[in-house]
Amino acid sequence: MARYVAKRLLSLVPVLFGVSLIVFFLVRLIPGSALEMYMGTQVEATPQQLEELKRIFGEDKPVPILYVQWLGRVLEGDFGYSLRTGRPVLPDILARLPVSLELTLLALLIALLVGIPQGVLASLTKNRVVDAANRMAGLLGLSLPQFWLAALMVLVFSGFRGWIPMGNYIRFVSNPLRNLLMLILPSLAIGVGLAAVIMRYTRNSMLEVLQADYIRTARAKGLKRRVVIVRHALKSAILPVITVAGFNTGYLLGGAIVIEEVFALPGMGRLALYAIYQRDYPVIQGIVLVIAALFVLVNILTDLLYAVADPRIRLDEAGR
Amino acid sequence: MKEPGADTPAPPHDASLLLEVEGLTTEFRTEQGRVAAVDRVSFQLHRGETLGLVGESGSGKSVTNLSILRLVPDPPGRVVAGRVGYRGKDLRTAAEEEVRVLRGRNISMIFQDPLTSLNPVLRISTQVQEALQLHHGLGGRQARAKAVEMLRLVGIPDAERRADDYPHQFSGGMRQRVMIAMALSCNPEILIADEPTTALDVTIQAQILELIKGLSARSATAVILITHDLGVVAGMCDRVCVMYAGRIVESAGVDELFSDPLHPYTRGLLDSIPRVDRAGGGRLHSIPGSPPSLIDMPDACPFHPRCPSAMDICRRAYPPETSRRAAGSDRARTVSCWLHAEVRGGPTQREPA
Amino acid sequence: MASGRFSRNSIAMTGAAIVALYLAVIVVAFFWVPFDPLAMDAAHALQPPSLASGHVFGTDEFGRDILSRIMRGCGVSLAISVAATALGALVGTFMGTWAGFRGGRWDHWIMRVADVLFSFPSLLLAIFVMAVLGEKSFNVVFAIGLVYIPQFARVSRGAVLAIRQADYVKAARSSGAGSGFILFRHLLPNILVPLVVQVSLSLSVAILLESALSFLGLGVQPPAPSWGNMLASARKAMVIAPWTAIYPGLAIVLLVLGFNLLGDGLRDVLDPRLRNVR
Repeated sequence: MARYVAKRLLSLVPVLFGVSLIVFFLVRLIPGSALEMYMGTQVEATPQQLEELKRIFGEDKPVPILYVQWLGRVLEGDFGYSLRTGRPVLPDILARLPVSLELTLLALLIALLVGIPQGVLASLTKNRVVDAANRMAGLLGLSLPQFWLAALMVLVFSGFRGWIPMGNYIRFVSNPLRNLLMLILPSLAIGVGLAAVIMRYTRNSMLEVLQADYIRTARAKGLKRRVVIVRHALKSAILPVITVAGFNTGYLLGGAIVIEEVFALPGMGRLALYAIYQRDYPVIQGIVLVIAALFVLVNILTDLLYAVADPRIRLDEAGR
Repeated sequence: MKEPGADTPAPPHDASLLLEVEGLTTEFRTEQGRVAAVDRVSFQLHRGETLGLVGESGSGKSVTNLSILRLVPDPPGRVVAGRVGYRGKDLRTAAEEEVRVLRGRNISMIFQDPLTSLNPVLRISTQVQEALQLHHGLGGRQARAKAVEMLRLVGIPDAERRADDYPHQFSGGMRQRVMIAMALSCNPEILIADEPTTALDVTIQAQILELIKGLSARSATAVILITHDLGVVAGMCDRVCVMYAGRIVESAGVDELFSDPLHPYTRGLLDSIPRVDRAGGGRLHSIPGSPPSLIDMPDACPFHPRCPSAMDICRRAYPPETSRRAAGSDRARTVSCWLHAEVRGGPTQREPA
Repeated sequence: MASGRFSRNSIAMTGAAIVALYLAVIVVAFFWVPFDPLAMDAAHALQPPSLASGHVFGTDEFGRDILSRIMRGCGVSLAISVAATALGALVGTFMGTWAGFRGGRWDHWIMRVADVLFSFPSLLLAIFVMAVLGEKSFNVVFAIGLVYIPQFARVSRGAVLAIRQADYVKAARSSGAGSGFILFRHLLPNILVPLVVQVSLSLSVAILLESALSFLGLGVQPPAPSWGNMLASARKAMVIAPWTAIYPGLAIVLLVLGFNLLGDGLRDVLDPRLRNVR
């Protein structure tokens, strides 16, 4: 088990290395360099000033060397400075992590609380019509574009202006209630789609497990239906759901770009979006690297969680 | 928390008759049509007796037993007719709750594949304890103690420690022992063993069968043993029912069956057993042809295409069940074959149900 | 035989019907739309839907007919999604099949590349690529296609690996079949099933991705209509003119639902294991 953990964590390294390569080199390919954009506002500059600017904007050396230098600094925790604001990149990124994290966790909570019971119920119904209706409802949830759902919610709830705080984001620590109110709509917008995914996976997994021989054994022992479903079926069926829930969590940390934009939440996705809009290279490099790293890390954690939950992996045949 | 209803004494009748199955019929709805996997099956099980149910794959033996306990998956299967008499009740038509109360407590079942029949994410101790906690109302610690005792009884070494293991940490033979422990933990009156050794190594098979034999003798548990192996039947059973294409074609005491098989199919099965003592070292005998498709079967003897003694009437009508009582035996033997059907005026003759 | 089951599967049929409807709309829109999708008419801006005025879905903030823009946008969105999925499927399947079949170092390195691509959340990767390539409709195909490469690589590699081990392949080999023969007769037909399902589901996600990109201004550029950029411009007007947001969104939802139903239904029909389960 410990070896499994170590192996998975070790696989982080080459992947992140590859990610950093792609990020760095692709960023350099973005047309309209920041220097040119900056220069647009200047009338003229002396050759020395030009040299200095080039150095600041990182355009004085060949790209591979710049990459190595950048990588070196990153490993020491120095992600450089934003071209737009001049502030250090890493602290800004980290400041936005809690926001994305809170949004993601709320959405996940909604999705699990709604999706799992629905999925279990859907797997148990024998009525063809109800079953088809359940499946369509699940697929419908998957088909809703988040930004549309968000827009509809804003529309519907615009009457509740007093309830939903608008304006600047309020952190959880300063005012928990207002913070949660601000995040309800965005988490719902994400949560509905995620609940549909969870419901489908739960239903499919339950259907497969219910066919298994050991469920027949459980029934042959005279166990009550509820016990068979919860203790025997659900316990195995939940495993693939762990995987998909974890995957989506990792995705949402950096991928909830549209929702953050619509609701003006200062999350990581939004930072990445604006950095790309503004061609702010250091920020782009930093945030994309962090988002990818988090995504991979969460996936690894999910795998580990799965391994712990499934005794067949947790305890191999040899040892205990 | 004990459950009511399972202790009602059986009404006075043949005091040793435990289970009476009459005309049991189970159908499956498939894309190609209706399949009568179990067709008008009747047999009796007496206290302490070991009844063998023999037949090829697809003959309906497993489904018969699932039908008794109403464990046939629905859809696509359904028990459509017949009577399963136990303790004065008809299990086929009784309420689901009444039947559930009996499962694991009065009537237990063990299955063919121990690999897939145990829940991989639950500990062995949990799985063995469940029945005890449910049916006998034992608390956690008591149930575990009893579970460990059962595991020891079935021959699991180091039972106290291994009880907390998971199924994948046990070998095939050990898992089957666990299944037996689970099934017998509540002292059922009837144990249904569905091909308990088919999936195991030959060397382990004998051990498991001995275990079943020993344990059932100890507590006078009646056993319905399903198998395709006549050798197992010879060693374990008191009475045998031979099944073909979903029907029982012959039933008799084990000695009677082996010494004087009446139905051509039974004879074919016995002849197919390779014998080292046969002089000449001739070819291995086998029954030509293959089992029929069970879809929309016509009213004829299902074995006639492969039968060496087939007559014209075999093609046209299903043979009635004929009873015969051998001298010195108080149990009748039956056979459904036109060769042995007596015309009117002869020994007892029964029309198919 | 499979077609019989398909027609009895209500989910697959509904999905197919929806997709067919959209295809019909595209064909019709090629020849005729109620109004010119680009014609601005300030006098009739933000008109609610009414049959009398001919603007069945109303007009947007520039007075353009929403229904016509939806119809035209349909062709664009679907074309981009199909092209992107095809690109991702071809490249990804090739990579995955190669990796699974050859194994060893090929497998290792190809899947490394796939893993790296896979570690970006798809929308972020697409946005990034659009920034690099330039915000043109055509480039969306590459952006989304790139996102799909690792997914198709994984699916096809998984299918190939599963089959390589299968007993019937060993049996074929032991009776003298060569690699090419095995590839065609055994591998390909069995990869087809998970691939077909994956394609259908990918098409649905592609529509969503394209809409999201257009919504963010990084996809189809206005004034060309795309459901995504229609929703973007509707954001301001939507409080007083909800139809500007509702109808384009509905168009997306319905088509995505259609592809999802189709994919789900296909999986039912083609997967032999699930056949006798309701």
